Amino acid sequence: MKRIQYIFIALFLLIFSGNTYSQDLDALLNAETKPTIDYATATFKASRIINGHSIEQMKKRQLDFRISHRFGPLNDGAYGLFGLDQSKIHFSLEYGVTDWLMLGAGRGSLNKTYDSFAKFRLLRQSSGAKWMPVSLSYFTSVELNTLKFQDPTRTNYFSSRLAFVHQLLIARKFNDKFSFQLSPTFIHRNLVKTELDMNDVYAMGFGARYKLSKRLSLNAEYYYNYNPNNKFQDTKYYNSASVGVDIETGGHVFQIMLTNSLGMREGSFIPQTTDDWFDKGIHLGFNISRVFSFQKDR
Amino acid sequence: MKKIFLVLIVLGASFGAFSQGKFIAKNAYISFYSSTPMEDILGESNEAVTILDSSNGEIVFQALMTTFHFKRALMEEHFNENYMESTKFPKAKFKGTIEGFKKEMLIAPVANIKITGVLNVHGVDKTITVPGTIGMEGGKLVATSKFKVTPEDYGIAIPSLVRDKIGKEMEITVKASYLPYGQ
Repeated sequence: MKRIQYIFIALFLLIFSGNTYSQDLDALLNAETKPTIDYATATFKASRIINGHSIEQMKKRQLDFRISHRFGPLNDGAYGLFGLDQSKIHFSLEYGVTDWLMLGAGRGSLNKTYDSFAKFRLLRQSSGAKWMPVSLSYFTSVELNTLKFQDPTRTNYFSSRLAFVHQLLIARKFNDKFSFQLSPTFIHRNLVKTELDMNDVYAMGFGARYKLSKRLSLNAEYYYNYNPNNKFQDTKYYNSASVGVDIETGGHVFQIMLTNSLGMREGSFIPQTTDDWFDKGIHLGFNISRVFSFQKDR
Repeated sequence: MKKIFLVLIVLGASFGAFSQGKFIAKNAYISFYSSTPMEDILGESNEAVTILDSSNGEIVFQALMTTFHFKRALMEEHFNENYMESTKFPKAKFKGTIEGFKKEMLIAPVANIKITGVLNVHGVDKTITVPGTIGMEGGKLVATSKFKVTPEDYGIAIPSLVRDKIGKEMEITVKASYLPYGQ
C-alpha cells in the first residue's frame, strides 16, 4: 500500500511539474527554435585582400565588375609626379555561377595579359550546429600574355604565352574585426624571360584585415616567394608587400593601397615584383568593385 | 486513500490538459520592407517560431536574424554585418498579449485585434501596440499583423551615405498558421 502511495505521489508530481514547465512560453520558444549553422560571412569585404584573392566570392547570380589601377613608383620623383604620370589598369567581370563557384575573366595592361579564373568554395567556417574552424577555397587561373614575341625569328608557340596559377585560400574570421588568410601558391610559366628564371614558382601568401569601423577596414598582404632569385639574374625580384584600406558604400567597395607590385594578377605580382619598398619603389593604387544582382527570386 | 490519489491525478491531468491550450507555428513568415525611389529592400524569413497561449492570450515570436533572406546577396551581408550585428544579437523577439482576449476569438472567423507587448530587436526592448488579425481560416488558426518600426528606435544607425536608399520606417509583415502544441 505504501509503495502504491509513493507511486501515485510521484505520478502526481510528474504531471504537475510537466505543467509548470510548459507554462513558460520563453522556455518553450527556445526549445522549439532549431539550432542553426552559423556561417562566418564577410571574412573580407571584397574578393581581393589587396592584390591577391581573398576567400570571398560572388554569391549565385551576382556579378562583380572590377576596375583596378596601379600608378608608377614613388621614386619616379617630382619629374613623374611621384608615379602618378603613368598607370597600369586591370579590369574584370566576375560572376557567381553558384554559391560555391565563381568564374571571372579580365584584361591587364601590364604585358597585355588576358586572364580567366575559377574559384571553388570547399569549406565554410561555421559555428553553432556545425563547427568548422576555417574557410577553404581553391583558386586557379590561366594567364595569356599577348605581347609581341621578343624574337620573331625563332619558332614561337601559342603555349609559350600561358601561365597557370593554383592557390589554396585558407581563412579564418577570428572575430567581427579581425580576419587572417594563408594562401599557398604554385605558379607555372610555360616560357620565362631567360633560362635563369624559374618556370615553377612556389609562394606563401599572408593576408589580414582589421575593421576600423563598420564600413572601413585596414588590410595588409604579403607574398613570400620561395625561389625568386638566383645570383646570375640581372633583374632582382622582391616579395610583394601591400597595405591598404577598404571603404564600403552599399554596392561599391573601394580599395586604396600602397604596394611595391605593379601587376594585379597572381602570375605578375607574385614572381615579378621588381620594386623595393626600401628604395621608395611604392605604387599608389586602387580597386573599385561594383556588384550587380541578377537574382530574380530566392 | 486510493480514491483520493485517483482524484488528485485526474485533477492534475485536467490541469495539464488545460495548460495544453497552446498553439505553435514553427514556420511563421516575417518580412520587412522599405521602399525609396532609389531602392526597394525586402527581407523575408519563413523560419520564425511563435507560440500562442489560449489560456491568457499571450503570444510570443522569435526569429533568428540569419534566417532573413534578400534578393541581393550583398544586402543580406550588410543586413547581418552592418545593421543587425547578428553575431552580437542573433535573435529578434516579441512577447505580448492580445487585448481583450477571449478563447472564442480563436475559433471565430478572422477578426481584427490589437496586441501590446515588448519587441526586442538589436538588443533593444521597446513596448509597442500593433494591429493584427486572428481567427479560423480554411480550418486553421491564423494570425497576421502589419506595422511599422523605425530602425533608429532600436539603436540601428543608418549612415547618411545610404540614407536615401533605406526608408525611415520599415514595414513589418507577420503571418502565422498555428497548430495545437505537441502534435
